[in-house]
Amino acid sequence: MSAEVVLSVDHVVKTFRVHQQRANSLKQLIAARGRNVFDEFLAVDDVTFDVHEGEVFGVIGQNGSGKSTLLKCMAGILRPNKGSVRVHRRMGVLLELGAGFHPDLTGRENVFLNAAILGMGRKEISQRFDAIVDFSGLHKFIDQPVKTYSSGMYVRLAFAVAINVDPQLLIVDEILAVGDVSFQRRCMEKFVEFRNDGRTIVLVTHDMGSVKNLCDRALWLERGRAVDQGDPGGLVDAYTERMLGGSQRSEDGPSRRGSGELQVTRIEMMVGDDQAPVSRLRTGDALRLRLHYRSDTSVPQPVFGVEIATLGGVAITAPCSRDVGMVPSSLSGEGFVDVSFPCVDLLPGTYDLHTSVTDFNRAHVYDHLQGAMRFDVMTGRPYETGGIVSFRPEWTVS
Amino acid sequence: MSLRSAMAHRNLLYLLSLKELRTRYKKSVLGWLWSLLNPVSQMLIFTVIFTYVFKQTPEPGNPSGLRNFPLYFLAGLLPWNFFAITTSVAMGNVQSGAGLIRKVAFPHEHLVFSVLIAQFVTLLIETAILVVALMIAGQNAFVWLPVLLVVYLLWALFTAGFALALAAANVFFHDVQYLWSIVSQVLFYATPVIYFPQIIQLTALRRFSTYGPTGAFVGVFHQLMYDGRAPTWAQWAYLFGLAVVAFAVGAALFSRLSPRFAEEL
Repeated sequence: MSAEVVLSVDHVVKTFRVHQQRANSLKQLIAARGRNVFDEFLAVDDVTFDVHEGEVFGVIGQNGSGKSTLLKCMAGILRPNKGSVRVHRRMGVLLELGAGFHPDLTGRENVFLNAAILGMGRKEISQRFDAIVDFSGLHKFIDQPVKTYSSGMYVRLAFAVAINVDPQLLIVDEILAVGDVSFQRRCMEKFVEFRNDGRTIVLVTHDMGSVKNLCDRALWLERGRAVDQGDPGGLVDAYTERMLGGSQRSEDGPSRRGSGELQVTRIEMMVGDDQAPVSRLRTGDALRLRLHYRSDTSVPQPVFGVEIATLGGVAITAPCSRDVGMVPSSLSGEGFVDVSFPCVDLLPGTYDLHTSVTDFNRAHVYDHLQGAMRFDVMTGRPYETGGIVSFRPEWTVS
Repeated sequence: MSLRSAMAHRNLLYLLSLKELRTRYKKSVLGWLWSLLNPVSQMLIFTVIFTYVFKQTPEPGNPSGLRNFPLYFLAGLLPWNFFAITTSVAMGNVQSGAGLIRKVAFPHEHLVFSVLIAQFVTLLIETAILVVALMIAGQNAFVWLPVLLVVYLLWALFTAGFALALAAANVFFHDVQYLWSIVSQVLFYATPVIYFPQIIQLTALRRFSTYGPTGAFVGVFHQLMYDGRAPTWAQWAYLFGLAVVAFAVGAALFSRLSPRFAEEL
């Protein structure tokens, strides 16, 4: 890329001291004979990258991978032990909104103070003051002390200040996750506006969707080291793949209840015409679920059901075999039941699968597997930014 | 601590100082008056104690001929309070600024300097009242104001050195603030604020009280306001040296430690 480098992170190393017995008082220090016992913890290990003008750069990684430490080094809050961070543009950092607010001062006074903390001059703040208040929509409350504000108002004002500092380089940490829906939308609009203005954004996030959607390039951190950087699409897929590993069970494992005359012993997931079982799929794939069952006695008119739910427990779909009249007069021994979904338009995320076997009236439960399987949906076609499921929209403008 | 980032954030310093001044008496009925009532009440207490309990007769001012213990006392107490309050509030300010320090990059020394400036403004207002009182008592302290202001600035530099060093050390060891409240009390009695240094019998103690760092400054404040006498060149040199050394040591310590504030707080 030929565009100018606006942020360069050069072999940055940051370690923390993890104190076994932290001498926080002189007494403890004297008792330890002036020595503090500590281990060095390597939070960021030799990370190098450049961010170019007009680029949206994503940083992804698990909790504890060093993302936040790296961000604080970029922001100048922490000083790296080795290496350097060079910033060539006016930088704005959205790390925590309203960090410098003082509850006893009014909204107006806090706007001035907060903007000054972010490095603005007095004249500049006066010029932008109206824009800030407009964006926050808090005209009526601007002369009230901020301790009377609701948390929503607080965040709105803080964001209004932060965004109006007018940075050429914006560093954002998980900010899209705060506030209500309309506030998040407003943030999003502002970011898109920023990007379209040709400004540079560094986004540190867990949200793979926004990385794929917004970023031009991404960096993947793991245990403080840069695993890879480059095209966000490939990176996010590789990252998701790695993070999931073989784990496909829900965290507590499945829990079984029911009288047990007929049990689901195994579940297989297959995509398309492929016979090989998989543990994840892409939006829009054709999915086949195979429920293997076993029964020691003959069970009359069993009804099989599956339920796909979000991790929050919201059932997205919960069909059972009786819905289509496919109820055998009786089953015994071993076998399997297939249920096919021609296209699963679940949007990227993690979902739970529950299964059940009941009698015809769905009153008596033979077997119920809560959290029988946990699976991931990765980005496919169609792609949408929000929601759980796609209804395959078609857009026309006239 | 760099001059460039400090300059870039000078607006922040201004607003933080304003905040210090504004929030202090925000909820009180008398508000600003408290900052005046405090030294006045202290003055009344000590005057009663030293005129009626310990029966001290004030030395006459030389050459002013003034014989007034409360005025002698105030001339030293006001700058002393500036020193004591600034150092202790600065420590608290850096500690309570933890939320800010961990989330935003800004020159940390402004948390100290804002206290210094706010307290200096308070000192100037209190001094104005002292000068009026002195004029009423017949001592023309007004003519000494320009000289006093220069000594005040040196005193502020000296105070800044202590405040920076203590605030930085306190981040790493919270004992520092408790230790300092004791040390500053000892210093208060070792400094001729509530007495005339000549009355001390023990030579070593008298010498420290007169020529020790804080004593030397307070002595000059008395000399200017109570006696009406200019400092000698030797005194100027001594005060200047004290101020520069204290500030240099404090600033060096602070800039060495402040990059680690964000992880230690």
